[in-house]
Amino acid sequence: MVQAAVRADGRAGPMVAGRIRRRRLDLRTTPGRLRLLLAGLVLLSLAWGALAAFTVVQYESAASGVVSTSEPLSLTAQQIYSGLSDANDAAATAFLTVGPEPVALRQRYLSDIAAASSGIEHATAQGGGTGPAAGDLAALAADLPAYTQEIGTADANNRLALPLGAAYLRGASGLMNGTLLPRAQGLYAAENASLGGTSAQATGLPLICVTLVAGLAVGYVLYRASRWLRGRTNRVLNVGLLAAGLVLVVSLAWLAAAYAGARGDLLHAQARGSATVEAVARVGIVAQQAHADESLTLIDNTGDDSYQTDYQQQQHALGPGPGTLLTAASAAADGSPAGPAVAAAVTDARAWFAAHARVRSLDRNGQHQAAVASALGSGPGDAGASFTRLSDSLDTAISTDQAVFNSTAGSAAGAYAGLEAGVIALSLLMAAACALGVSRRLAEYR
Amino acid sequence: MTGRIGPRPRAAAFALAAAALAAVAAGCAAAPVPRPAPVPVHAAAHEAAGARPAGKSQSHAETAATCNPDASSLAPLGPPAVTPGSDMARIKARGYLIAGVDQSTYHFGYLNPLDGQIEGFDIDMIRAVAKAIFGNPDKVQFKAISDAQRIPAVTSGSVDIVAHTMTITCARLQQVDFSSVYFDAHQRVLVPDNSTATGGLADLGGQQVCATSGSDSVTTIQDYPTHPKVVQVPFWTDCLVLLQQDEVAAVSTDDAILYGLQAQDPFTKVVGPSLEDEPYGLAMSKQHPDFVRFVNAVIAQDESDGGWEASYKHWVSPAGATPPTPRYAS
Repeated sequence: MVQAAVRADGRAGPMVAGRIRRRRLDLRTTPGRLRLLLAGLVLLSLAWGALAAFTVVQYESAASGVVSTSEPLSLTAQQIYSGLSDANDAAATAFLTVGPEPVALRQRYLSDIAAASSGIEHATAQGGGTGPAAGDLAALAADLPAYTQEIGTADANNRLALPLGAAYLRGASGLMNGTLLPRAQGLYAAENASLGGTSAQATGLPLICVTLVAGLAVGYVLYRASRWLRGRTNRVLNVGLLAAGLVLVVSLAWLAAAYAGARGDLLHAQARGSATVEAVARVGIVAQQAHADESLTLIDNTGDDSYQTDYQQQQHALGPGPGTLLTAASAAADGSPAGPAVAAAVTDARAWFAAHARVRSLDRNGQHQAAVASALGSGPGDAGASFTRLSDSLDTAISTDQAVFNSTAGSAAGAYAGLEAGVIALSLLMAAACALGVSRRLAEYR
Repeated sequence: MTGRIGPRPRAAAFALAAAALAAVAAGCAAAPVPRPAPVPVHAAAHEAAGARPAGKSQSHAETAATCNPDASSLAPLGPPAVTPGSDMARIKARGYLIAGVDQSTYHFGYLNPLDGQIEGFDIDMIRAVAKAIFGNPDKVQFKAISDAQRIPAVTSGSVDIVAHTMTITCARLQQVDFSSVYFDAHQRVLVPDNSTATGGLADLGGQQVCATSGSDSVTTIQDYPTHPKVVQVPFWTDCLVLLQQDEVAAVSTDDAILYGLQAQDPFTKVVGPSLEDEPYGLAMSKQHPDFVRFVNAVIAQDESDGGWEASYKHWVSPAGATPPTPRYAS
């Protein structure tokens, strides 16, 4: 040790310099301890900064994942699901019309199919093709062309006035209800679970708690350091450490505020946006299936009641009443901007059910044409008009709360804007303030 | 017009068969049949399963001791007349006839997508009855029913009459009354044009053959010696969908129905021998014998005044045919 020091001294020059350097490392002396304190505080500040930045990145990416990936995928899945069930409804209803199918229904069918197939493509490209929903997406991609082909064959036969067309329509409808819709439902459930997961990550407590506690610990260390300095020196206040403490408080407050804001926004987006949208979308999909059953019962018109039995199950599931979809949607939308639209949907659903009962009664009593006229009709009391009103109310509810979700979830992701750079800059500032504060004391020993 | 039933070189055969049947019937009336006659319970069980106990075409005579589907109905009491207090008077008071019909059997009873009306040969029979009651063939409320609902619809009284390519069988005669035979059909086989099963079910051993559940064709297919596998669907058009999608090798039922399917897909052909005679009758309640006699009078009138033949030419074959000779139970 001595030899090494001597050799070093020989190279370094005068003996005075050698003594000073040795003193620097000597923890038994105050300057040595001060140097250690300086290094420790600088490292602690930087480490805290790194932890805070890591925390910000985690939460910000989860929040933006909700907005930019999970929510769009969930929305896409919902659009695939409701697009398919609406397409089937449009196809069946168009079939009910005597003569060439109405242009509006044709357009509705085509745009539903286009939306569903581009949704399948999009969801597959967005990574849904490898996730838990991969099987559902692959089945949807494979069966949708088979479905549209059967609908096409049904239309072609119907145009030739052949009853074979109705058989193809039944076949297509069976494919839709037996395979495509269950797959779309599986996809929607998977994407919703993934949205819930990302959202829980973005609102989760553990990491932020660790970071805040670590920040408080750093603050405590600063406090102890300034107490120690006060004992060693005769200064009451160390301006540098005080400044570092203030900077720490600022970054802690910023971090906590950003997190609290983002968490609040995300929870709000979930409760007032995606949860309502999901509840209302389920009402819409079941209503479309029931409406397709109404049309198919009239097309089939054999007295064999399988479609009507299906209809009754759907109506029962819709409610309103305890445990039904409409009641769940009302509860989810209560107090949200979509509340009035959902309340209107409940009224519309009741009106449609009543109109449907009249359609069945007409049809059972041999007034098939009158029943069909009501099912397609746009006049007051017609089942067709009632269903359109229900459908419109549900669409309004979905788009209203989707807008709520988009704006609040967007502001959640925005809450972290600049925070990452901010905490890094603040921790550098902290480190600099600590260094300045301690080195001033150190300078007094020279 | 490949889709229509072609000119039938069957008039002579029919007369021969009728004569043979009559002879056997007469013989049976005199002496007991050597084979055991089906007991009603057994027959009812078969009916419940959608089966037809009478078996093969030549075996109709076997049950002659208990029933003769071709001559099982009540004879008319002169030309059709709505007598006071009769079932016809009750229907007339209601203002319309209620008929249970098919809506998916092309050319017999089907919903025309062009005008939303139910049309066909069976429907013309119903309109003739309505015209005889009301003087107006349109005074009918059509109720579309499935094959399996035909008998319940009659026995429950929810319809006055069923016209639904319905074969008169002894088992069914236990539950409902039939009119006299208004159409002679035969169970045969429909296959794709390129099929090699030109011998019908004989060439379809172990293969999938489609029929509607509740039709009597199911048992004929199942009992055939080559044992084809039966695929059951709700409607005959569903069978054609399966045939077009290559999911079944053939469809087997009455030629009247098969020609209606062939008319919807010219790339199919009707093949094989007649597997079973299918004499069609209009089904009515056993409670209304005067209505049965009335309907038989309408059929006899329709067959003699050219109405039957006009309908046949329109729906079945432009070549026309001789209507079945009306025969009644004594």
